[in-house]
Amino acid sequence: MRSSYLPIAIAVAVLAVLPLGTSSNTTLNFLSFALIVALAAQGWNILGGYGGQFSFGHAAFFGTGAYGMALLQVRFGINPWLALPLATLMGAAVGAAIGALSFRARLRGSYFALVTLAFAEVFRILANAWGFTGGAAGVLVPLRIEAANMQFADRATFYWLVLACVAAGLVLTQAMARARFGAWLVAVRENEEAARALGVDSLAVKLRAITLSSGITALAGGLYAQKFLYLDAGIAYGSWISVEALLAPIIGGLGTVFGPLVGALVLLGLGEATKIALGHALGGAVPGVDLVVFGVLLILCVAFAPRGLLGLGANVRRLLRRPV
Amino acid sequence: MSQSTRRTLLGGAAAAGGVLAMPAILRAQPAAVKIGILQPVTGALAQDGEYGRLGAQIALDEINAAGGIKSLGGAKLEMVFGDARSTPEGGTQEVERMQGEKVAAIVGGFASPIVLAASQAASRYDIPYICDVGVSDAIVGRGLANTFRFGPGFGIVTSTALENLVKLNDAAGKPAKTVVIVHEDGLFGSGMAKLLNDQLPPRGFQVLETIAHPTPSRDMSNVALRIRALNPDLVIPSSYYSEFVLLARTMQQQRIRPKGVYAILNGAASNFRFVKEFADAANLVMDCNHWADPRKPKTAAVRAKAEAGGRFWLYNTPLNYSCVALLADAIERAGSTDRDKITAALASSSFAGHIMPYGPTRFEKGQNMGAAPVNTQVQGGDIKVIFPDAFADAKPVFPAT
Repeated sequence: MRSSYLPIAIAVAVLAVLPLGTSSNTTLNFLSFALIVALAAQGWNILGGYGGQFSFGHAAFFGTGAYGMALLQVRFGINPWLALPLATLMGAAVGAAIGALSFRARLRGSYFALVTLAFAEVFRILANAWGFTGGAAGVLVPLRIEAANMQFADRATFYWLVLACVAAGLVLTQAMARARFGAWLVAVRENEEAARALGVDSLAVKLRAITLSSGITALAGGLYAQKFLYLDAGIAYGSWISVEALLAPIIGGLGTVFGPLVGALVLLGLGEATKIALGHALGGAVPGVDLVVFGVLLILCVAFAPRGLLGLGANVRRLLRRPV
Repeated sequence: MSQSTRRTLLGGAAAAGGVLAMPAILRAQPAAVKIGILQPVTGALAQDGEYGRLGAQIALDEINAAGGIKSLGGAKLEMVFGDARSTPEGGTQEVERMQGEKVAAIVGGFASPIVLAASQAASRYDIPYICDVGVSDAIVGRGLANTFRFGPGFGIVTSTALENLVKLNDAAGKPAKTVVIVHEDGLFGSGMAKLLNDQLPPRGFQVLETIAHPTPSRDMSNVALRIRALNPDLVIPSSYYSEFVLLARTMQQQRIRPKGVYAILNGAASNFRFVKEFADAANLVMDCNHWADPRKPKTAAVRAKAEAGGRFWLYNTPLNYSCVALLADAIERAGSTDRDKITAALASSSFAGHIMPYGPTRFEKGQNMGAAPVNTQVQGGDIKVIFPDAFADAKPVFPAT
């Protein structure tokens, strides 16, 4: 028990003091967005990283959280502080429903991935067509800067709110990994038949995992909606977030507590850094060249750190420790 | 030790140089006014963003060449460019960066979702924001004091389009009775389809079918085949560039020739790239869209500059040119880079030096009330204005077959 939460405390403390060191809202805005993606990725990591059920459709949960957050406020006049947990529950419910449908049908591997992808697309098309969600015009949460309205004059406050959620996600993941449930989940990932033979109720375990996973990702969606105050179907249910949510843990380290956070910060940080660096160097003369550089770095990352950056770190440590 | 003396020496020399140069600095230009230009130049909307940036650049160069902002002692305008990456969060991030660079105002955005998010982010810092293209009615309906739209919104474009369609059909002896609507399933296509379904039947048109397609789409054969089967008099497409080009080419290949193709806010039908690259498919396609005023002498000059770099003439360029000119006029009248003063100057502006067919600007709740679209038709490899009559440079060719 002793030190397992210490790294989390240190990481969160470091991230928490960042706003005190920078007055640049550009940095804070970027970090808030990166942490929202990290949170979505933490959700994915529970199901995909620990449970080995690769979802390509976490946008379904992210979008439900985001639309829930926006529509509860706009259509029902519910306070955002209440709307956020409600939106999280809605996302979790959608996750449980999709999980029940697909796990009961014993879908796994690429079939499960395809089904989740299809669900996200169906949700996108429905949200795009339905008048209640604003259709293709989307929903706009009115700008009213008040703390009671979860809109803050200071960018740092919202950043800390997102960070608190990410910290909760880290603690939850750590607690889960150490609990019996975490062990069951890993057992299901490694060999479902063997796990079942040992008495693990694999269906129940997977259902709990997808519910938890989708709830966390939905929370990220809710925070996204509150940050940008505008949603349309392509943003909420678009494939971009499904990709970000699975890319971050893969880059950071699959099935590790810090993988999604490290992955999201590195991934988005790299994108932003190449954009700024090349923007200065070329003055924006060649649009998109930063994305090319970003892509190359990503390929290098995956090629030389197949177990993620955390895995790479562990390898390096092992190399250094090896007696010469 | 020797290094430290060398450094001291250098420092002294620099200081001396600075003192000697002082008079020159005193006589030099006042600080440049930074203008944020926000466009999506990567991602799905990259083409539009590039043409928007081109228009802004032409305007800035022109204003600077003419002596900058006179009320600020000839201060030059400096572009702070931001790539919105075709996403709302990309746009917001660039607004934050522009705030860090202390821009006086921001122009652009192009797509409605980007404009909605970016103008909201700008309003936190009271940065005046001029929307260049985004047509969503929500943009100016939110009560944000900093947000202005120079061009027409969705409501005015569609009502003008319907009005002119009826006029066109009546003048030709009502040859068109049946319609097929093809639209992209995003913000403007879906809204348009809904509106057309409501508005066309009372005007004597029968809507045979409404076909939605996603953006991007890579194949339009099924849509074309459906049109062939329905055989409508009129096809009304509302799509982005690539999809409409595909549709028009597929219809041409399959020899589907309705009496008219009447596009509304179409990404391709008033785009010279389409006209040049697919002259046959584009011929006689009509569009109701943003378009520069061909009567104004400045239009030809801007067009010549835009085309000098091997670029095509798209509406993004004159719109952004005009928006930047409008902003420069507001800064000139405000006599200050104070954001509130610029916002006030924009709100009270009656600027006529733009190249759109709008008349002097008059803003009501951020919307330029004079803004209106025009109807164009591709005729013999050129894009001609067919409505309004006041400055039409060609007669409509309808029915086309």
